[in-house]
Amino acid sequence: MVNTRRNGWSVAADAMAIGLALLWLAPLIFGLLMSFRPQAAPISSGNIFFGCQSDLSDQQQALIDEREAGRSITFAGCTVTRSNYDAAWSLTNGQWPRFFLNSLIFVVGTLAVQVVTVTMAAYAFARMRFFGRNVLLFALLLQLMVPTGLLIIQNFATIRRFGLLDTHWALMLPYWGSAFGVLLLRQTFRQVPYELEEAARIDGANLAQVLTNVYMPLSVPAYIAFALVSISSHWNEVLWPLIVTRTDTARTLTVGLSLLYENSDTGANYGLIMAGTILVVAPLVGMFMLFQRRFIESFASSGIK
Amino acid sequence: MVCHVPYHFLPISARFFHPARPIFPKVFFMEATAHPLDRPRTVAVRRPIFTHALPYLLIAPTFFLVFIFTLWPAIRTVYDSFFIFFPGRNPRPPEFVGLQNYADLFDQSHPIVSDFVQILTNTLIFTVGTVIFSIPIALLLALLLNRRIRGLGIWRFATFYPALLPAVGAASFWAFLYGNQLGLINTILTSFGLQGQNWTGDPDLVLGAITVQNIWKQAGYYMIFYLAGLQSIPRDIYEAADLDGAGYFQQLRYLTLPLLRRTTLFLLVVAFTFGFQTVEQLEALRGGLTNQRGNLLLYYIFQRRTDPRNWGYLNAMTVILAGLVLIFTVANFVFFERREDERG
Repeated sequence: MVNTRRNGWSVAADAMAIGLALLWLAPLIFGLLMSFRPQAAPISSGNIFFGCQSDLSDQQQALIDEREAGRSITFAGCTVTRSNYDAAWSLTNGQWPRFFLNSLIFVVGTLAVQVVTVTMAAYAFARMRFFGRNVLLFALLLQLMVPTGLLIIQNFATIRRFGLLDTHWALMLPYWGSAFGVLLLRQTFRQVPYELEEAARIDGANLAQVLTNVYMPLSVPAYIAFALVSISSHWNEVLWPLIVTRTDTARTLTVGLSLLYENSDTGANYGLIMAGTILVVAPLVGMFMLFQRRFIESFASSGIK
Repeated sequence: MVCHVPYHFLPISARFFHPARPIFPKVFFMEATAHPLDRPRTVAVRRPIFTHALPYLLIAPTFFLVFIFTLWPAIRTVYDSFFIFFPGRNPRPPEFVGLQNYADLFDQSHPIVSDFVQILTNTLIFTVGTVIFSIPIALLLALLLNRRIRGLGIWRFATFYPALLPAVGAASFWAFLYGNQLGLINTILTSFGLQGQNWTGDPDLVLGAITVQNIWKQAGYYMIFYLAGLQSIPRDIYEAADLDGAGYFQQLRYLTLPLLRRTTLFLLVVAFTFGFQTVEQLEALRGGLTNQRGNLLLYYIFQRRTDPRNWGYLNAMTVILAGLVLIFTVANFVFFERREDERG
């Protein structure tokens, strides 16, 4: 399919690819531009980029200079400010660092427990024979058909009955058992040569040692795929954290972003909202840029978000 | 009774009463067929209970969690959907009403759930609309970005990054684009002398606006799978087709698309499953919630969760939603597997 000949078609296809990519990129670019604009310089026709003063009155300019003093730089008639980020930061009583920490606890705590539970179950399903194995595996796989995300009402009642509302446990518990992870690692473990386990057993290794010294090192790519999928889906989770958190103790970044909508009664203060959004998405997009190739391979091989 | 017959001389059924019986006889847990990895045992070892219980102990944590948070709630959802609940000052026990809750959902003059039919229609339009546009766009993007272009990584990132954003974050970019007064699209439209629209406030436009936003978010994610599919097709098939004089579009029609059919089936299943669950963008694009013309089923359930009188209805709605996911998943399989049989 890779066409090495340069002809009219291939130039047209290049142009189309770049055009579509720019179209897809536009919301991010304009969001970024918006987040650095002074609030006193609203976008208007012919002025959709930075707060360039071409059509601002002297009065508006004076307002910008006054409000953005010390937070902005102006060059060539354009003002770039960080006041939106300051405002987004302080809007939720300066709780962003806490939300960030909560998101981190949620994501890391979920992944850490998942790795343990999933490894154990995957080994049992891959290498042990026991009564009812296929029935139990099928029961687990029902989770793929009826996603946990649909059962928010009943799960909320369960969490409330456990008395765990508004804790980190409430966020993490439903995600600790992962049928998808079991399936992924079971496939990987089955490809590990059994002779390696046998050799380790003869050397006196117990099950825990066999898992940590034979199976896990040989399945690192599968673990990375699972980790990336797990991290990105839980970092982006909104509905469940919104339901089980009521105070700032366990709220995640995405809940903070939702609060931004509820608390900002200014209506169309998009600069503020864009700044808040960028604060939320920056960690994951940054991580993606670091591990781009890995990320794409992982998503392609796993298929579940 | 003291039995002097050695344990292994007894028939299996009688061994149960033997005093030397292991607590968990092997026959209870092991399958009868021989496993290739089993080596013949020369010495009869009485294995400790732990060995027989080990696989169950290993899967216990996962199974327990999946049971508590998926299997049991799924059963409870169906069960609770047959009841009406009377909480409040003087609570009464729930009353069994059979399918009355489901009937009420489709009763458009019902005081609590009169919106349901509208919401269900919205959800179907939103999901089907997202799928039928985002998958062809994903294929187009994959075909375009599976070539040698300068800065390929940047262009792939440009189309993939929306999948990494939280749904509410992705939607807040679009809240700015769609904004009524100071939104970007309207600003550009007015600068060309056109009339701006209230994209998320107008009841006729809001569902389309939400769908377009979701297509933008999902297409790059599905593109990844098409890219992986394209790269797994052996190059020499195309060389053979080239020799036979097949043009690009003939190759696309007769080679690429049939070879990507498995990927497409997979993507259809994934896309429908996600489509019914993608509602968080409504947190940001709230304009459509005013008269329920832009609301979606899972978000509707989420909004009504705080009133315990709705409990029966909420469970009935969840059953319908899960049923839709299952129907679309199974339908995709049936449709595609049948086509495969026809081709031989």
